[in-house]
Formats: sequence, C-alpha cells, structure tokens
Amino acid sequence: MDRDALAAEVKQLLVTGLRLDRPPSDIPDDSPIFGDGLGLDSIDALELVVLVEDRFRVSIPDEEVGKRAFASVRALVDFIAEERQP
Amino acid sequence: MSQLAGHRVLVTGGSRGIGRAIALACAGAGAAVAFNWSRDEDGSEAEETVAVLRATGSTVHGVQADVSDAEAVSRLFGSVREALGGAPDVLVNNAAVTHDGLLMMLPETGWRRVLDVDLTGAYLCSRNALRGMIAGRWGRIVNVVSPAAFFGKEGASAYAAAKGGLVALTKSLAREVARYRITVNAVSPGFVDTRLIRELAEAERSELERQIPLGRLADPDEIAAAVLFLVSPAASYLTGTTLHVDGGLTML
Repeated sequence: MDRDALAAEVKQLLVTGLRLDRPPSDIPDDSPIFGDGLGLDSIDALELVVLVEDRFRVSIPDEEVGKRAFASVRALVDFIAEERQP
Repeated sequence: MSQLAGHRVLVTGGSRGIGRAIALACAGAGAAVAFNWSRDEDGSEAEETVAVLRATGSTVHGVQADVSDAEAVSRLFGSVREALGGAPDVLVNNAAVTHDGLLMMLPETGWRRVLDVDLTGAYLCSRNALRGMIAGRWGRIVNVVSPAAFFGKEGASAYAAAKGGLVALTKSLAREVARYRITVNAVSPGFVDTRLIRELAEAERSELERQIPLGRLADPDEIAAAVLFLVSPAASYLTGTTLHVDGGLTML
C-alpha cells in the first residue's frame, strides 16, 4: 500500500474510531494527535492503541513507543509503515 | 443461572481456596472460565479444579503461570484467548502470596516476592486484559484485597502494603477506564475457612471468631458471591469501590 493510501486509512480510522467531528481530508499530516491538534486526551490514547494495533498489526506496548507513534499523523503513518507485520 | 453467558473470565490463582470458589461461581453463571496456578503447586489441585468446573458444563482452561513474570502473563493471555475463543472480558486478580515476619527482620527477597506477585501481578494481568476490554467497550476487573490493606497487620507488612497498593490501583484504574464501560472494584475477604485457617489450633480459631461480629469464618462461596455480583449486570453502576465481605470485621 502506498503512503498516501495508508495516510488516508489512518485518518479515516481516527475519525470513525474516535468519533471526531470532521472529515478525514481535513486532518493535516503534521497535526499532533493529542492535545491541541485533534483535541484528544491521554485516555483516548488507550482506544487509539487498541484500534491501531488491531487494524494495522503493529504493537504499541508502552508509552515510549506510544509517544513516538502518536507524535503526529505523519509519525503514526511512518510508524505503521515501518512496523506492520506482513 | 446464566447471567454471565457469553462472557470469558480469567481468575488468577484459581486452583484452590477463594480463587477456585470464584471460578466455580462464574462457571455456574454460564461463563467460560480460565484460571492459572502458581509455580509453587504441583498441579494436582488444578486438575481437580478443572474437573469440578467442567461439571458445570462450561468451557474451562487451567494453566500454570507466574503472574509476576511479564512474559509468562503474556503467554497466559495467549493461551486463554485460544482456549476460550477470545480475550477475557472479566478478570479477577486473586493470585497472592505472603511472606510473614516482622519488617525489621524481613529479607528483601521476601518483600519483593510479595509485591511482585500480589501487586505487580495485578498490574501485568490488568494491562493485558484491558486491550480486549477497550476494544469490546465492556469489562469487569475485580481485585481481591484484604482487611490488612485497611488496618495493617503486624508480621505481614509486605502483604498489607501490597494489598493497600492494590486498593489504590483499583481506584486509579477505575477512573482511567470508566469511559470504556470497564469497572474496577475490589473484594476484601475477612477470615475465610480455607486450608490456612484449618491448620490453626482450636484456641487460635476461637479467638479469631470472637473478633468477627458475625461470629464465624466465611465460606469461600460467600466471597465468590460478592465477586459474582461485581461482575454481573446488577453492579453496572459500581466502580472503584471495595466490598468488605468479612462478617463485620472492618466496617469501613
């Protein structure tokens, strides 16, 4: 899957999974996922971990990996592209 | 009774005593039930427990696993998912050890073992269980604590500290996951008629009974009934609390 398609899929997951009130195409790649970016808090992160692990077959075992993966939408796409299991 | 039909339960330390009674109550309520037993047991009680649980007609899975070992807990959850057809949505953190002795003389290895099993074990099991519960947007965690967590107990400072920690963990985790319809509660059994107590001399036993307003020891089934209530639909509005099932010993 190319990177643009993956980015679109990640944004769609954010919107439907976390019930964000905006279309996926409105989410910039450099948007921080937590805090001011998408207005999500750290408890939302728990659900995002579960959603991302299930959908993309990656493992986000602890907050160190989580911080890297969820730094921004772009970081999350990079993380999935690098880590996903075939 | 089938109030837990369709649910998958994991009871840690479930081969005997209170843990077995909890596992049996859940199986009797229609749940598929898994339990683990510790490295200190030979497995004969576990085999017997599997047979007792299977007699209810439920799916049952027993496996040896040390809850204080992160990799062992991860393997435990893998085997439970396979045997029960999915991740547990009910977790009862019951596994516990104690190392009695006055604190000044308590060896560090004893202190650490108690904290590792009783407190870190609950952390590791909860951590593994939460992913499935969050995905399913429903879950029940019950931690088995002790009056020692509330009163302290001379000669059992490590156990009391671990159980006190588990009460605080119960409250904190309850706040963290409430949004996902996961409740986290504790049950604090008083003196229960298990092997440990049966080994006491008659005089010690009557002294114990004298301290209990209801005047007798608990049957393990009476503890299990409280756990079953907390994981049932009837307890949907309880979280972060402790049920003191102790014959009036604590009255908090």
